[in-house]
Amino acid sequence: MQKQYAFLVDSERCIGCFTCAMACRNYYHQEEGIIWRQVYPLAEEIYPHRERAFFSLACNHCANPACLNVCPVNAYTKREKDGVVVHHQDKCIGCGNCIRSCPYGAPKYNPVAKRAEKCSMCHERLDADLKPACVQACPTDALQLIDLAELHQTNEVQYPAGFPKMESVNPSTRFILPQMPKMVRR
Amino acid sequence: MTMKQTYNRRQFLKGLAAVGATALLPCRFLVPMNAEAAAFNEAEFTIFRNACPRNCYDTCSIKTYVKDGVIQFIEGAPESTYTDGGLCVKGYSYTRRPYSPDRIKYPMMQDGRRSGKWRRVSWDEALDRIAKKILELKEKDGNLLGMGMTKYSGNFGITNYGVEGMMSSLGYTTRFVGTPCWPAGIDAQNYDMGNMWCNDPEDMAKAKYIIVWGANPAWCSVHSMKYIMEAKRRGAKIVVIDPVFTQTAAKGDVYWQPKTSTDGALALGMAKHILDSGLVNQDFVNNYSYGFEDFANYLNANVTVEWAAEQTGIPAKDIKEVAEEFATADPATIWIGYGMQRHTNGGASVRSIDALVAMTGNIGKEGGGARYGQLQTWGFNYHALIQKQPEGSKGFVGNAAKGEFDFTNGTEAQYSDRTVNINKTAQVILDTKDPAIKMLWVSCKNPFAQDFDRPKLEKAFDTLEMVVTVDQFFNETVANSDIVLPVTTLFEEWTVNVSYWHYWLSINEQAIKPMHEAKSNIEIAAALSQKMNALSPGSCTFPQDIDTKEWMAKEFNKDIYSYFGIADWTELRNGPVKAKLKTSAAWPDHKFDTPSGKYEFKSELCEKNGHNALPAFKERRKHYAAFRLLTPHTKFGIHSQFINLDWMQEYDKEPFVYMHPNAAAKKGIADQDMVRVFNKVGEQRVRVKLTDNVSEDCLLMYEAWFGKGNTFNVQNLVDDESADMGAFKAGAPGVAIHDQFADIERI
Ligand code: SF4
Ligand code: SF4
Ligand code: SF4
Repeated sequence: MQKQYAFLVDSERCIGCFTCAMACRNYYHQEEGIIWRQVYPLAEEIYPHRERAFFSLACNHCANPACLNVCPVNAYTKREKDGVVVHHQDKCIGCGNCIRSCPYGAPKYNPVAKRAEKCSMCHERLDADLKPACVQACPTDALQLIDLAELHQTNEVQYPAGFPKMESVNPSTRFILPQMPKMVRR
Repeated sequence: MTMKQTYNRRQFLKGLAAVGATALLPCRFLVPMNAEAAAFNEAEFTIFRNACPRNCYDTCSIKTYVKDGVIQFIEGAPESTYTDGGLCVKGYSYTRRPYSPDRIKYPMMQDGRRSGKWRRVSWDEALDRIAKKILELKEKDGNLLGMGMTKYSGNFGITNYGVEGMMSSLGYTTRFVGTPCWPAGIDAQNYDMGNMWCNDPEDMAKAKYIIVWGANPAWCSVHSMKYIMEAKRRGAKIVVIDPVFTQTAAKGDVYWQPKTSTDGALALGMAKHILDSGLVNQDFVNNYSYGFEDFANYLNANVTVEWAAEQTGIPAKDIKEVAEEFATADPATIWIGYGMQRHTNGGASVRSIDALVAMTGNIGKEGGGARYGQLQTWGFNYHALIQKQPEGSKGFVGNAAKGEFDFTNGTEAQYSDRTVNINKTAQVILDTKDPAIKMLWVSCKNPFAQDFDRPKLEKAFDTLEMVVTVDQFFNETVANSDIVLPVTTLFEEWTVNVSYWHYWLSINEQAIKPMHEAKSNIEIAAALSQKMNALSPGSCTFPQDIDTKEWMAKEFNKDIYSYFGIADWTELRNGPVKAKLKTSAAWPDHKFDTPSGKYEFKSELCEKNGHNALPAFKERRKHYAAFRLLTPHTKFGIHSQFINLDWMQEYDKEPFVYMHPNAAAKKGIADQDMVRVFNKVGEQRVRVKLTDNVSEDCLLMYEAWFGKGNTFNVQNLVDDESADMGAFKAGAPGVAIHDQFADIERI
């Protein structure tokens, strides 16, 4: 398999602190209302307590990206060397096709630039051998950068409950499921 | 963005793209890469060192990337193993803070408190008004005790003690002392061990058993979580005890939800079981402790596990199981949170937990310890703090209390400042006479968000003739002021920072020029001094022209250098440094600072100060309304800071009251309903979220200031009842913040 960078979201370790999300904003200063990385609490049907287990999600840098496939002006590229899906805002005409097509809601419309934008996996940082800003920021290493080509799968899952199963795009993100303590309550 | 120059397949494809050849390619994956961005290049930035000065365990070391005089982004300093290259959600929002459109940009005056009629004035005009008022008070009263100063933990940068210094340089004034934060526990640890001193938190990774008791590091000390998780990976068991199923609890192996404020009974029940099972560490109790026999007698006479189970709601078999596991794990440690001592029996509870750790021989051990906090790394000169009163100043006669961050040696002066209890701000403003407090200086603090009984506070402020607030944002305290002075953010001043938890030292460089007309606290002091001396020569001793860098440098001394293993502060420009500890344990030689020199299960000093000599059970405060109301920290702010930033509001839109679904059903309340939470103090309207993270008899609202038209303020519901301890070391008792009660109804 070719090199494919991916986010590993370890919900067993994630404390839902939103540090990753704010680290992204700190690095890219998105316009108000535009979020590239969001931390989603799991619904009570999935984890039986409210707001105590989370998925930190951004663009999945899919193997077969819907965004890229629908873009009429080739504003998206998938880097051969590591599989990062890059949106080139300079080419974007703001038609919104990617925004409508991405099943994970990753691309957002920037009303100021009148163009789309999304998580870049900090590819300029990757090229300087640095981690993405969110990954570097995570205080518990719950968010990690992995290469799917080298992943010896153990307990990682691709489609955990609550995460849309979109086999056609084949999202790269992998998950480790949250655990629960033994509870003694009144 | 520059193009990569290497001619590779990508370049070739790019050539194809130019002639429209992509259409021929079979797969869209091969879309050419055009205009590849250049790799990140650190050399494009000027990098500065900063340090988070908030009242946070983590006190992170920050690396700030500046280009064209503007902060581009920040990150955690990689040199600190504690910060480990990262900050927290609040820390990363700093990039926005100096540039926030909501910042107070100039000195401003309000025509009528809470009128919102602010007008911009010059620094000269603002200081002129202030200085004249100070001189008027001094003239009328014959002293300056009518001027009060309230400051706390809004900025722990060491040079910010210049606010206290400024007050001293004007004369003897009235100081609000004590701490709303941790005083009952400080006293408790002082009675038991003679000081508050904790192990290096990084050594928690070595623990075989960790009890996190009334602390929520997943929200309030994110960087500590990695040590707890590391210990867990190495096989340690993690037990979390909290009335709320916190985020930390969700990450533990065992979660206990005892009845709120029964922690003392729980600890004593565990202690009794350890005693009964013969698991007491005889070496420690025989050789390094005082009064264990009395404690054992007390346990035998008064405590059974069944009694503890009944008090706390935790079944006896669970109490026994954890007690045994804790006593036999080596090392085992307890992190004692500040939340669990904010009760009328909080100090007694902390003493009981200390006793549990001590009797199992875990104090003085790496990976062990009764962890609460430390001030070992705070040995600065307090140059900014220590200022002389003007010749002939008159003040308070008698022995006034000192605050917990007062490191000055007692002086034999004839006069002193007058001290009043910071935890009863409203009441003391109303009560203080001869002279009454007529002017208040507020800095590094937001009383309307943090002080208790907000309705009463408003009445108290209305009796003041002048309120000057130094701040960055138009919060509720500013709304209740006459003059606001804009203060610098951490990026705009020099200072130095240490933690009350870990052992790292960081400098804070000036990374950008102050925005707008902001001045640092010590620059404000200098400017006021200029004005005072212009109006009345000799009326203020504070230097009239200062350089924040020089003042920061003056805070260092030989002891700090040797403690941290550096020759000069300038070395800190290469990154933070950690104290050169011989061991990561506190009290490693078991020599305690108590009167007996031993760990004191029985403390005569404690008895002398009006408490029980033993860590005995103390009844909790009686309910005064239907539900217990808890108002702990939110993850999106530290007290009232950060929550107002637009960047933070992207992720944190609205405050809630959290309530158990069963309790809500009985009240006819549904998820997301608007409700009224009320008690004898006041009321708060807010939206409800149903969750079983809280018990049925409990309501929870995170303390916060939301700003922008939102009136949410939990201090509308918290009275100023005192905790049992705090006066001994912090100057005033703590507050029973979590011994509050309220009722709720749908509106
Ligand atoms: S998550 Fe959406 S935007 Fe990201 S690569 Fe996949 S389809 Fe494209
Ligand atoms: S920073 Fe890490 S722990 Fe915090 S929310 Fe993001 S993934 Fe979870
Ligand atoms: S608030 Fe605490 S964890 Fe966050 S950056 Fe500041 S010191 Fe670090």
